Amino acid sequence: MDLFGSYALLLAFLCMLYAVGGGIAAIITRRPLLIKSARNAGFAVCALVWLGFGSLLYLFLTDDFSMAYVSAHSNRNLATFYKIPAVWSGQEGSLLFWSFLLSIYVFSVLFTYRGKHPELMPYVGVVTASVQGFFLILNNFIASPFQIFAAPGAGGVMHLATQADGRGLNPLLQYPEMSIHPPMLYSGYTGFTIPFAFALAALLGRYPGEKWIHLTRRWTMIAWCFQSIGILLGAHWAYAVLGWGGYWGWDPVENASLMPWLTGTAFLHSVMMQEKRGMMRVWNVWLVFSTFFLCILGTSLTRSGAVNSVHAFAESKIGHWFWSFLVICIVVCLVAYLKNRDYLRSDNQLDSMLSRESSFLFNNLILLVACVAVLSGTLFPVLSEAVRGSKISVGPPFFNLVNVPIGLFLLFLTGVGPLLAWRKTSTESMRRNFGWPLVGGAVGAVLAVAFGLRNPYVTICVLLSGFVTLTVLSEFYRGSRVISARTGSNLFSSAAQLTMRNTRRYGGYVVHFGMVLIFIGLCGTPFNKDRQMEMNPGSVMALGPYTLHLQNFDTDQQPNYSSERATIDVDRGGKSLMMLYPQRRFYPSNEESGTMVAISSTLKEDLYVVYAGRSPDTNMPVIHAYLNPLVKWIWLGGVVVVFGTILALLPNRQAVLVVRPVAETSPAVQGQQTVPATYTARSQLPTSHD
Amino acid sequence: MTNRHRVALAFSFLVAIAAALVPLRVDAERSDRAKQLGRKLMCMCGCGQILIECNHIDCPYSVPMLKKLDQLVVANEADDLILQDYVQQYGEKVLSAPPTKGFNSIAWYIPGASFVLGLAIVGFVIRLWSKRHTEEFVPAPGAPGDGAASSSARPDSRLERARQQADQETED
Repeated sequence: MDLFGSYALLLAFLCMLYAVGGGIAAIITRRPLLIKSARNAGFAVCALVWLGFGSLLYLFLTDDFSMAYVSAHSNRNLATFYKIPAVWSGQEGSLLFWSFLLSIYVFSVLFTYRGKHPELMPYVGVVTASVQGFFLILNNFIASPFQIFAAPGAGGVMHLATQADGRGLNPLLQYPEMSIHPPMLYSGYTGFTIPFAFALAALLGRYPGEKWIHLTRRWTMIAWCFQSIGILLGAHWAYAVLGWGGYWGWDPVENASLMPWLTGTAFLHSVMMQEKRGMMRVWNVWLVFSTFFLCILGTSLTRSGAVNSVHAFAESKIGHWFWSFLVICIVVCLVAYLKNRDYLRSDNQLDSMLSRESSFLFNNLILLVACVAVLSGTLFPVLSEAVRGSKISVGPPFFNLVNVPIGLFLLFLTGVGPLLAWRKTSTESMRRNFGWPLVGGAVGAVLAVAFGLRNPYVTICVLLSGFVTLTVLSEFYRGSRVISARTGSNLFSSAAQLTMRNTRRYGGYVVHFGMVLIFIGLCGTPFNKDRQMEMNPGSVMALGPYTLHLQNFDTDQQPNYSSERATIDVDRGGKSLMMLYPQRRFYPSNEESGTMVAISSTLKEDLYVVYAGRSPDTNMPVIHAYLNPLVKWIWLGGVVVVFGTILALLPNRQAVLVVRPVAETSPAVQGQQTVPATYTARSQLPTSHD
Repeated sequence: MTNRHRVALAFSFLVAIAAALVPLRVDAERSDRAKQLGRKLMCMCGCGQILIECNHIDCPYSVPMLKKLDQLVVANEADDLILQDYVQQYGEKVLSAPPTKGFNSIAWYIPGASFVLGLAIVGFVIRLWSKRHTEEFVPAPGAPGDGAASSSARPDSRLERARQQADQETED
C-alpha cells in the first residue's frame, strides 16, 4: 500500500505537469480539445491525490509500522478514532492532508464550471494546478510520508525493517476536537486558493466585469467559514486541553491563522463595493492575493521553526521551500498586475462621507491595521534577532494592548455600517437609525458598571455590543414589519421570510450578532480569578463563591494511558453543586503527560479545575482552579457566526406575489370577474442595502 | 566598576539576603503583585507561555523562576529591579512585551504608524473620490449642461437618478 500511495502521488505530480503545460497551451491556442484535456488532467491530479491520502490512512488504520511516518505518530494501543487525526499530526502527513483538501476544492471548481466560462477556466486550471504542484513537490520529494524503515542485510542489500510498535500520538492531540480542528483550519487555508486562482486568472485573462467576483463569492465564504470554525475550535482545544485557563495565547501559529481570516473578512466586505458600484477593483484583487500569501506565510511559520511556537512542527528546511513559493507567488501576481492593471481601472466615486462605501473603507482599514499589528508582533522577534543579534519575546501583553482598541473600533463599525445607505445617508436618517441603539447601548454600559464590571474597555465593549445588537434587531424588525403588514403573517414568520429573501444580507447580520456574543465573552477576561494549592484529600479551596472540597484521588489504567484522577466536590453557600474530576494522564508510548481539565460551564462563568500534578518539593497534588467569567459566550458566538455564514451561503428564495382580495369592486368592472387589485411584488417590499 | 555594575551588585546582594530570610518553600498561593509581575515575564522553557501561565509541573524553568519571583516579592523589591534581575539572568527574551526603549520600541510604533498611515490614505481616497463625484455632477461654468434650461444635468436630479440606480443595484 505504501508503494501504491507513493506511485499515486508521483503520477499526480506528472498529471499536474500536464495540467499546467496543457493549460498554458490551451490558453495560447484556444483549442477546445486541449482545454478539455488540461481540465481532465486536473481531475486526474485530484483523484490521484485522494488515492495517495487514502493509502496513508489505510497504513495508519492497519498499524503498518514499517512506515517511518506511521511509526512516529501512532501505536497499536491508540484508539481507532485517533488513528485518523494521527495521519495529519506530523509534518509529512499534514502536507499530504493539505494537498488532499486542496484537491477537493479544485475538483469541485473544475466540475462545477466544466464547459462554462471558457475564457476564464483554463487560467483557473493552470493556477490551481500550479499551487497543487508546489505541494506535490513537497509530498513527493521533500517530505514524503511514504518512507520505510530499512536495515542493511547480507551483502549490503537493504531489507524492510518493521517496528514492533510505534511511538504513539502526541497526548495533546488525543482529544476529540483535534480530529476536527485541523481539517477545518486547513480547509480554510486551502479554500482561499480558489478566490486567489480566480482573481489571478481574471487578471491574466483580462476577464471582463465583476463576474469573477460573483463566481468566487461563495467559495470565499466557505473558506472563511472553515477558517472561523478552525480558529474557534483551536481556541476551545487550547482551553480544554492545555490547562492554562485561557483560550488564546497569541502564539505565532494562532496568529498565523488569524491573519488570513482578517484579510478574508476585509475582502468579504469590500467585495460588495465592487459588486454594487464597480469600485475598488485593484484593492479587492490585492486583498485576495494577500489572503493567499498570508495562508502560505502562516504555513511556513508553522513548519520552518522561524518563530517559537508550542504548535509548530519540528524545525526543518521545508521553510525555505515555502518562502521560495511565497516569493514566486508575489512576483507572478505583481507582474500580472503591472501588465494588466488597465483592466482593473474603475470609476471610483464617493457621493458622501456618510455612506456605506466610506464605512467599508474604514472597516478595511481597521481589519488591515489589525493584520499588520498581528503580523509585525509575530515577526518582530525575527527582525530583532537579525538586527541586534538577540531575540526578544512579543507575548500576550503586547497583542492585548494593541488589539483591544482595534477590536472595539471594529465592533463600532459593525454597528454603524449596516445603518448607512449606499451613496449617501442623510443626517435625519442617521438620527433616526442611531438614536435608540445608542441609548440602549448606554443603558447596557451603565448596568454593567452597576453590576461590578468596572473596566474602561469592558464598559465600552458592553456599550458597543448593545449598540450593534440593537442595530441588527432594528434591521430585522423594520423589514419584518413591512412584510407582516403586507402578508398578515406574524413578525417571526416575516423575519424568516425576510431572511430567506436576502440570505446574504441577513445572514451577514446574524454573523455580526455572533461577533457581538464573542466580544461579550472576551469582556470576562479582566475579571478572571485563579488559585493554585497543594491539596490532600480533605483539603478545601475557596474561589469566588465556590468552595472546592478535594475528596480523593484514584487511578485508572487504559490501553494507551494511565491516569490519576482527583474527585472534587464543589459547593456554593454550603449547598453541594456538582462533582468535578480533573485528570492527569501518562502516555507510556511517548513518555509524555497530559491534563484533562474539568470544566463546569454556565453563561455566567466557567469553573475550570486542573489537576496540575504533584509538587516537586512536597510531592503533594497541586490543584489549580480558575473562575473565568462569560467564556461560554465565545463558543455560543462562534456557533452563531457559523450559522449566519451558512445562512448567507443559501440561495435567495424568490419573492412570492401576494394577492390581496379587493374589498369593493370598482363600478367600471361590476359584473365582471373580480380582478385582484393589489400585487405586492418584491420591489415593494423592503429593499436590501447590503 | 561602573555605577550600573555597583547597582547590580548591591541588588544581587539584597536578593541573596532576601532569599536567605524567606522560607525555602513558598506557599503555592501567589500574591497579586507576584501574579502581575509574572505576566510581564515569559517562561523560558520554550512553551511560549507567560511565566504565570506556564502550567508544566516540574518545568525546569518556570518552577525556579516563580519561586525566585515569590521570594523577591516577599522581600518587597521594586518591580523594575525585579524585572531587571530576570533580564540579566535570561536576556531580554524573558520580558513578555518588547521594551519601550531602543530598537525594540519600534514594535510598539508599527501598529500606531500603520493606523495613521492607513487613515491618511483613506482620507486621501475619500477626498479624491468625492472630488471626482463633484466634478462629474457640477458642470463647469459655460458648459452645455450649465443653466436652468438643462434640468437633467442638475445635481439634484442626477443624484436622484443615481439613487434609483443604486436601489436597483442593491435590490437582491
